Amino acid sequence: MVNPLLAEKGSRVLLLGNEAIARAALESGICVAAAYPGTPSTEILEAIIEVAEQCGVYVEWSVNEKTAFEVAYGAAIAGLRSLVAMKHVGLNVASDILMSSAYAGVEAGFLVVTADDPSMHSSQNEQDNRWYGLLSHLPVVEPSNPRDAYELTKESYALSEKYKIPVILRTTTRISHTRMPIVLSGEVASGRNCRGVFRQDLSRWVLVPGNARRRKLELAKTWTSIMEKEGGEPFIRIINPGSSKVIIASGIAFSYVREALDLLNAVDKATVIKVNMPVPLPRAPVKRVLESASEVLVVEELDPVVEMQVKDIAQTEGYSVRIRGKDLIPLNYELSIESVYSAVKEFLGIEGKTPWESIGVVETPTPIPPRPPVLCAGCPHRLTFYIVKTAANKAGLKNPVYTGDIGCYTLGYQKPFETQSTCFEMGGSIGVANGLARAIDNPVIAVIGDSTFFHAGLPPSINAVYNNSHIIILVLDNLTTAMTGHQPHPGTGVSATGKKTTRILPEKILESIGYRVYVINPMKTKESIEAVTEAFREYKNGGMVAIVSRMKCALEVAREARRSRVTLPIYAVIEDKCTGCMACVNLTACPALIVEPGAKKPRIMSDLCIGCGLCASICPYRAINVVNNPTPGYEKLWWEP
Amino acid sequence: MNRIYNIGVVGVGGQGLLTLGRIIGLAAIHAGLDVAVAEVHGMSQRGGSVIVNVRIGEEPSPLIPVGGADLLISLELLEAARYVQYLRRGGILVSNDFIWPPPLARYPSRDEIVKSLKSREIDLYIYDANKASVEFTGSTVSANIAILGFTMGVDEKLGEILGFEKVTSALEEVFKGQVLEVNKELLRRSYIEGVKIAEERRGSR
Repeated sequence: MVNPLLAEKGSRVLLLGNEAIARAALESGICVAAAYPGTPSTEILEAIIEVAEQCGVYVEWSVNEKTAFEVAYGAAIAGLRSLVAMKHVGLNVASDILMSSAYAGVEAGFLVVTADDPSMHSSQNEQDNRWYGLLSHLPVVEPSNPRDAYELTKESYALSEKYKIPVILRTTTRISHTRMPIVLSGEVASGRNCRGVFRQDLSRWVLVPGNARRRKLELAKTWTSIMEKEGGEPFIRIINPGSSKVIIASGIAFSYVREALDLLNAVDKATVIKVNMPVPLPRAPVKRVLESASEVLVVEELDPVVEMQVKDIAQTEGYSVRIRGKDLIPLNYELSIESVYSAVKEFLGIEGKTPWESIGVVETPTPIPPRPPVLCAGCPHRLTFYIVKTAANKAGLKNPVYTGDIGCYTLGYQKPFETQSTCFEMGGSIGVANGLARAIDNPVIAVIGDSTFFHAGLPPSINAVYNNSHIIILVLDNLTTAMTGHQPHPGTGVSATGKKTTRILPEKILESIGYRVYVINPMKTKESIEAVTEAFREYKNGGMVAIVSRMKCALEVAREARRSRVTLPIYAVIEDKCTGCMACVNLTACPALIVEPGAKKPRIMSDLCIGCGLCASICPYRAINVVNNPTPGYEKLWWEP
Repeated sequence: MNRIYNIGVVGVGGQGLLTLGRIIGLAAIHAGLDVAVAEVHGMSQRGGSVIVNVRIGEEPSPLIPVGGADLLISLELLEAARYVQYLRRGGILVSNDFIWPPPLARYPSRDEIVKSLKSREIDLYIYDANKASVEFTGSTVSANIAILGFTMGVDEKLGEILGFEKVTSALEEVFKGQVLEVNKELLRRSYIEGVKIAEERRGSR
């Protein structure tokens, strides 16, 4: 099995859009790649990590997107090609340096990959990061499918070097997370020289006002050159020229437009402009097509970024052509072949039925229940949430408000936990807690994951002590960045490539800031309840307390148990002892605990149970027991990083 | 453009749906075809309802339209009922004979689900892929391979498009060692079972 990332030139391999970007970056000779994990961007760096040592590329999971950007940018100003990748909201975190990097520019190709998430499959908003191009005056390149992503990544490095500025490569979920066969057109460079040179140039690298003013004019010139000179392949393509009806499709929208025209047998009924550089939109080719057009439809996902520029061109040139876009194409959520098909059909005035006809929704006497994501069986967060709620009652902590953060534990907003009352952005749990503590009399508990704590939790933790904001910090340390697929972070003592490094413990940081820290092992439920109760009492007496709950992600434990052939305990409900009180079901909401239709007692799905033991410790009748022979010492798997 | 063959792969996050989608994608490559496999990662994957869109044909866009699926493979019955609307009239549904209810939910019984699925104009196959996997591997972890083998047996069109050997070659790219051998054998057995069931059904018509 050859890793497809290293397959030979000419091979046809099935690559995820993200893997295609990684392969193209390797072919382009990058020396440095950095990222903070975030769906849908994560696999770009993961793919590079797998082959980094072989290729001589330096790769790291940075603590956050701003730092990742700076790491890659630092290499680029020293003349090494580099890449930084993040999800759309990650670019908000890195936006400060993004803006400055546009002014100062680069000495080697530098790609900023932003993976946007229309429809918010795994995100708190669906911001359209093409705006960042207009904001920073940097070009945005947008592929229409994974194959395009592969070619355009390589082209983007050339563009970046031609104009000596960073290039933003914008993908969306359906590009990043779609696999397609890709014919590899280049080799992964081996024996790359990754020693750069930093050339002192105060007027360029030191953006004091006088220098910044000069650099701004340089940037404006570059911006205009790109707009005027990059008016051809691979950034823009005109298909079937000469028609009075024109469809302009940017990025993934082109895939849908192409298929819709095929289905409508209307390939020759419209001129199509395939846009792969929506910002700045190349003016000359658009002008040429608009001149003889009667009506234009702009198809793009989310905001009318291209539509606005097309209208600007038409207005400036005095064309009377009618330009349509968001009146026919949805403004919100990701596009689909259905939505684009209907829009194109209406635009071209074609009659007829749609080629799809659903057999309809199936109805059952009890409706099919929704299935939102849930905490996994054995998830440490479930234990911690149970412990914290029980301890709050014991300590008489009245109506606490739990501010929440970004991670699997966000799912704690659901019943029966309700231990997340807010969720906005990385680190927001602690920051917003600072403000709530000023505004309300309820105790405020900031709930934050380990990786998120390192990402953006430190400044607001310091702020709380410095400004005397009376809050409790609860760090959920599952020894990994779980939701994005288990990346290491500073608290694990392991680097991106699996090397041992300094382990930085959240409790040490919090102690040094001035918190009294309680570290608990939530598998020891009773002990933990005692410890957290004591922490809450201390908080009530005016103390600054923090709790670190440490227990490894259950998915990691299950994987390691399989690998090392360790048998974990499996619990079962003892029919004779069970009274059917349902305490276990109602207090844990564990996916392994099910109650079949008509049944009076719950059952544990032995395939799913990995033996966290929470249900057994809750059962008032001791009716849940271990029913297998676990390997002695299995507990270590839950603790060691 | 040739018509695109649309396969929805559905179930609960964690049931091996991404692997199943990838295997079909790799088999398509071996068959010299173009394909798009649109996956779901991240939060929506944690025990949530998942659909992987597999579209075999020339330069497909990523998503299957509702009413456009030729084949729906489901690893779970509630999810089969949820996503069956993706099928076209006369499409094939192969569902694992397994219910995994969401926590704290009220849900219909197996018989109720099967009855309502049968009321639709589809070709319905219910196959205990969990059992097939357990019998052969000792756990349900290969239920995705079992249901793929069975589906290759009952869906003649899919068999024509991909070919059994191409799927076997795809397995070789995804698994290795003992796991590969076990999965190859499981694929073969469940395929034979599928062929048998399909023949019986044709005979009874």
